[in-house]
Amino acid sequence: MTITTQTSPLVKAEGITKIFGTGDKEMVALSGLNLEVKEGEFLSLLGPSGCGKSTALNIMGGLLRATEGTITFGGEPMTEPRRQIGMMFQQAVMFPWRTTLENVLLPVEIFGESKKEFKPKAQELLSMVGISEFENSYPWQLSGGMQQRAALARVLLHDPKLLLLDEPFGALDEFTRETMNQELLRLQNYANSTAVLVTHNITEAVFMSDRIAVMSARPGRLVGILEVPFDRPRRPELQTTNDFIKLVAEARSMLELQ
Amino acid sequence: MTLIASPPPGAKATRNHPKKESLFQRIRNGSAWITILTIVVIVVLWQIIPQTGLINRVLFPTFTDTVAAFVQLLGSSYWWGDLTKTMSAVGIAWVIGVAFGFAMGVALGTSPFVRTAITPYAIAVQALPKVVLAPLLIGWLGFGSESKIALAVIICFFPVWIDTMVGLSLPSANEFKLLQSLKASKRQVFLKLQLPTAIPLIMVGVKHALLLAFTGVIVAEILAASDGGLGTLAKEFASQLNMGMTYAVVFVVVIIAVTLVSIADVVERRVVFWSEESRARKR
Repeated sequence: MTITTQTSPLVKAEGITKIFGTGDKEMVALSGLNLEVKEGEFLSLLGPSGCGKSTALNIMGGLLRATEGTITFGGEPMTEPRRQIGMMFQQAVMFPWRTTLENVLLPVEIFGESKKEFKPKAQELLSMVGISEFENSYPWQLSGGMQQRAALARVLLHDPKLLLLDEPFGALDEFTRETMNQELLRLQNYANSTAVLVTHNITEAVFMSDRIAVMSARPGRLVGILEVPFDRPRRPELQTTNDFIKLVAEARSMLELQ
Repeated sequence: MTLIASPPPGAKATRNHPKKESLFQRIRNGSAWITILTIVVIVVLWQIIPQTGLINRVLFPTFTDTVAAFVQLLGSSYWWGDLTKTMSAVGIAWVIGVAFGFAMGVALGTSPFVRTAITPYAIAVQALPKVVLAPLLIGWLGFGSESKIALAVIICFFPVWIDTMVGLSLPSANEFKLLQSLKASKRQVFLKLQLPTAIPLIMVGVKHALLLAFTGVIVAEILAASDGGLGTLAKEFASQLNMGMTYAVVFVVVIIAVTLVSIADVVERRVVFWSEESRARKR
């Protein structure tokens, strides 16, 4: 698998500054962020809380407008959310009055498309994430991990070119989280999409990513980019190798944790 | 690489419904004797104390006197008409109150401008003991059923209004963000997220409104007697010192209220099967 295809970046952020509030309550969340996301890569935004990584993600997704700077998606300026961009949040965000299948089909309803047409695909995705037997269950009958599996199926339904993941498994326990991360890599590879993950977990960032954008807080800014050269698919054993541990240490030093 | 995943570890359906036992189950388990004993003790005391002369039997009739009056009330010629008058007024007032409260709630819950404009008045109305408006309404609308319904509407629309308004603001930031990321329109956000989220709370308001409408109608009937109804009946029997019959009317009101609440509870559990509270109550 070739990762470094030299094409124009899918996302290009130039001089992104985001300021919340005005006057005395002014808060600089992001200061002059320059970042490129290459097509097909897995990029992590790693940093402590308050470094603006979620803000950066929301700007990439078109949920927030940057105060200064420009951001483009596929060469076009980002001004609003796009259908080729799928977002996942820390909570699964499943509506309790809908069954799992109906939740997965929510985007179809919002886009005004035929649910009948998308139903087979939704069912296929549910079986791919391993919860097909729960398609008629309600979210409150599922564990947190299973809810996030359903959310993964929902975000993949429209073949997003770009996945924006805001600590999607942060609320899960460590074991479920590791399984879910594996699933995520498998599905990202299958769906052939680009992914940007926001995390404050260094090991997770190194394990998942092709590149890590290390950020620092107050004001949020980019410290540097760390390349992660390991082959894919990645196995959990990777995490005990010396090369892996070295990279984790390097990320830590960039974060000025040591 | 396999694409069909085996059921993941940690993936198991969790279904914990704390059980609430039915009366039947409690009888079988033997814990119902406390309830039954309490009822028996109350009935016996009710029967004996007025007979001892400790309290005036004219003002406090015995249990059997009350039951006899109850039977007499149900057999009377006027009873059906009064019941119908009261209940139709409650029904009309409730429907109007719920519709009005819901409309207000939606207007205030979706438009910050309307909310800012109306909130001070809402607070003033909330603080007001609304029964004080009864003389005013009777003055405007006369002694007929209109003033009765108007008072009941004014008393009952408030919880629906507030609960709708609050309910629409309940969705979490992430839920709004999900729909925003799908580029949902305001209308879609309202119909697919805010309204369903608000429904459990709206149902509470609607239930509350039912009892408040009942209260409003009866208060109006007691104040303005010409239109008849259960309130008028109770007042007239009391003024004749016919306490058995007064008790019987109160009994009827209690039975109707309990029945209305029970029906509303069943409907609520069906409609908002997903809400925390209703899930806990389901077996």
